[in-house]
Amino acid sequence: MNSTVVHSGPPADPLPDFQPLAVDGCEAVVLQVQQLVKSYGRGGRPAVDGLTFDVQEGEAFGLLGPNGAGKTTAISVMCTLLRPTAGSVHLDGIDVQAEPGRVRRLLGLVPQEIALYPRLTGRENLRYFARLYGLKGLELEERVADALELVQLQEHADRPVNSYSGGMKRRANLAAGMLHQPRILFLDEPTVGIDAQSRNLILDSLSRLRQAGTTLVYTTHYMEEAQQLCNRVAIMDGGRIIAEGEPAALIAGRAGCANLEQLFLQLTGSHLRDD
Amino acid sequence: MSGFFATFCKELLLIRRDRAGLMLLFIMPAVLVLVVSLVQNNLLETSGTAVPVLLVDEDGGELAKRLTDGLQELGALTLVRQDGDPLDATAAQDAVRGGDYQFAIVIPPGLTEEVRSRARQLAEQSLAGEGAAAEPPLATAELAVYFDPTVQGAFRTAVLSSLRLVVLGLETEEKGKVLAELLPQRIEKLLPALPFGFGTPRPQLSFHWNSEPVLAVREQVALAGGLTKLPTAVQQNVPAWALFGMFFIVIPLSGTLLRERQEGTLQRLRTLPVSPLAILAGKVAAYVLICLGQFGFMLLVGKTVLPLLGTPMLEIGSEPGAIFFLALSAALAATGFGILVGALVGSYEQATMVGSVAVVVAAALGGVMVPVYVMPQAMQAISLFSPLAWGLNGFLDLFVRGGDLISVLPNAFGLLAFFAVTLTLAWIGFLQRNRRGG
Ligand SMILES: Nc1ncnc2c1ncn2[C@@H]1O[C@H](COP(=O)(O)OP(=O)(O)O)[C@@H](O)[C@H]1O
Ligand SMILES: [Mg+2]
Repeated sequence: MNSTVVHSGPPADPLPDFQPLAVDGCEAVVLQVQQLVKSYGRGGRPAVDGLTFDVQEGEAFGLLGPNGAGKTTAISVMCTLLRPTAGSVHLDGIDVQAEPGRVRRLLGLVPQEIALYPRLTGRENLRYFARLYGLKGLELEERVADALELVQLQEHADRPVNSYSGGMKRRANLAAGMLHQPRILFLDEPTVGIDAQSRNLILDSLSRLRQAGTTLVYTTHYMEEAQQLCNRVAIMDGGRIIAEGEPAALIAGRAGCANLEQLFLQLTGSHLRDD
Repeated sequence: MSGFFATFCKELLLIRRDRAGLMLLFIMPAVLVLVVSLVQNNLLETSGTAVPVLLVDEDGGELAKRLTDGLQELGALTLVRQDGDPLDATAAQDAVRGGDYQFAIVIPPGLTEEVRSRARQLAEQSLAGEGAAAEPPLATAELAVYFDPTVQGAFRTAVLSSLRLVVLGLETEEKGKVLAELLPQRIEKLLPALPFGFGTPRPQLSFHWNSEPVLAVREQVALAGGLTKLPTAVQQNVPAWALFGMFFIVIPLSGTLLRERQEGTLQRLRTLPVSPLAILAGKVAAYVLICLGQFGFMLLVGKTVLPLLGTPMLEIGSEPGAIFFLALSAALAATGFGILVGALVGSYEQATMVGSVAVVVAAALGGVMVPVYVMPQAMQAISLFSPLAWGLNGFLDLFVRGGDLISVLPNAFGLLAFFAVTLTLAWIGFLQRNRRGG
């Protein structure tokens, strides 16, 4: 994981009490998003409207926001699924739009949907995606076994995914996103609608991945999760970042907020977002 | 390459787990071919469809007229006569070969005379007794019936049996007339030579004459190459329903594609460092293999199961290479169509609707259910646009008309072009959807 990093953007002004998680004592920018705009169709409001942020190597970066804030859209652009309307995304210094093929080797995605084949077993699903990553033979089997172990699905690996519970499906979804050991893992609401045990297990797995050096970009609307997992968060609404920083600092900088949830409601308003 | 092979294996695994899909692909066409082959045995009797038959009367005699009247009375056939410009046998044969008619009955010149002389000869011989020295027999008069080689067995049997029925009646009548005329003469000749009383010798009759035909019906296939092998209902139905089954791959295939899109696996695939073309090729290869399996299975049914139910065994000619090439082209065409439907529709219900309706319509137009020649002229023209018609035509060419790789190339290229067009349209649809971000 030693790669040269091109840092071409303006230096991000660090928050006063921001304490970067140091990996080997150096801070390297893995993800750089600059003035990112994405509109679906002509006219209308852009779903992502001038997003700018950096993510350092080894960080767990949280993108928080109510429904329709533009989190999925932003992740889709960063993962080469959508072309930006304007602005740029660099992953490990590589322009995502110019060289999607190279970027895809570096990233992993845990999408919002359970992106697995329901009729295949957990292991068959992982094997298929691992082979598409170019893994084979013993290495492939090892990676698949490691991924299954990380999400505690070894015992159910040979059951079809459609027989899994919601929590098991979410865990398998996570396994499929990380089995190729990506440099940066994008997670789009990976814990939505599941049991407390599975959610805990997923958050635990993510901490382990982070300790192993994987950079995480994580969207959620569960504030306590973000507070637990992320060293830095950005709160989005209407396609823009309205606050960014270390959770503790953000809460401290706002009067009358005891936790991230209260801060979030203050910032985004308490009206319903039914998208 | 790994993307191709991994996808190929994954798709086969998915199909293996899809019981309903497998039933649809393998059991449905097999059941259809069994049922339809058996039902068509009685098609004419039950439906009362009058088959158009071109009638050429080169004789013009009394017998020819009675023959046509007899056929007309039966009602099973619609006789078509060209009154203004009478056709000869060659022209009739050409009309059948060219596809204008499926049948032509030719009454040869001098038929009335020939039948009369032959009947008289037979009667005379039989009255002369067993021992009498026979004069050389006169030739049996012949009626020629020309067939389109693709005509199904049931239709052919109907035309022939109608004709044989009328001919038998004519024959019996003609023989009886001659006998009625000769018998009294013969008795008179015998009577004076004998005294009255018992023991009057009766005229010695040999009944040999009764079974001897005076008029024969000769079936002939109107073939350019002079081949006389006749097609069977099985030869029509097996490739027809095999193609139908292959195109039904549209249901499971479009379903898989749709599910990939809806469940987000396509999204995941699109973030992987693998060429989308490799994945597409893997899918195509898997489904083409399934289609070829279906085709092989249907040939097996035609060879082994259908004969058990009393139909003739499936004959497939002598060009296995050409059969494989044509089947491969059809499999590609079917797969291309499935991918196109999968790329364009928005829901599983839509895929099932669009897919099955399109296949059933294309099959009906293509002559799968009802042979093209029974259709009205306008429909026959439209049937040229059905890929199933191209496939069926090609297989009938190989199975029945003695065709080879060269002669099925136009049909095969049609199918391959269909594959190329559908796949291109599907690709355009895929790219547009990606651009829209949906
Ligand atoms: N495929 C699409 N076509 C058109 N509009 C879309 C599409 N996907 C999302 N949007 C719109 O873009 C906005 C942001 O959506 P999204 O990125 O899914 O938000 P989030 O993930 O934060 O809930 C919403 O207003 C949504 O309606
Ligand atoms: Mg979302």
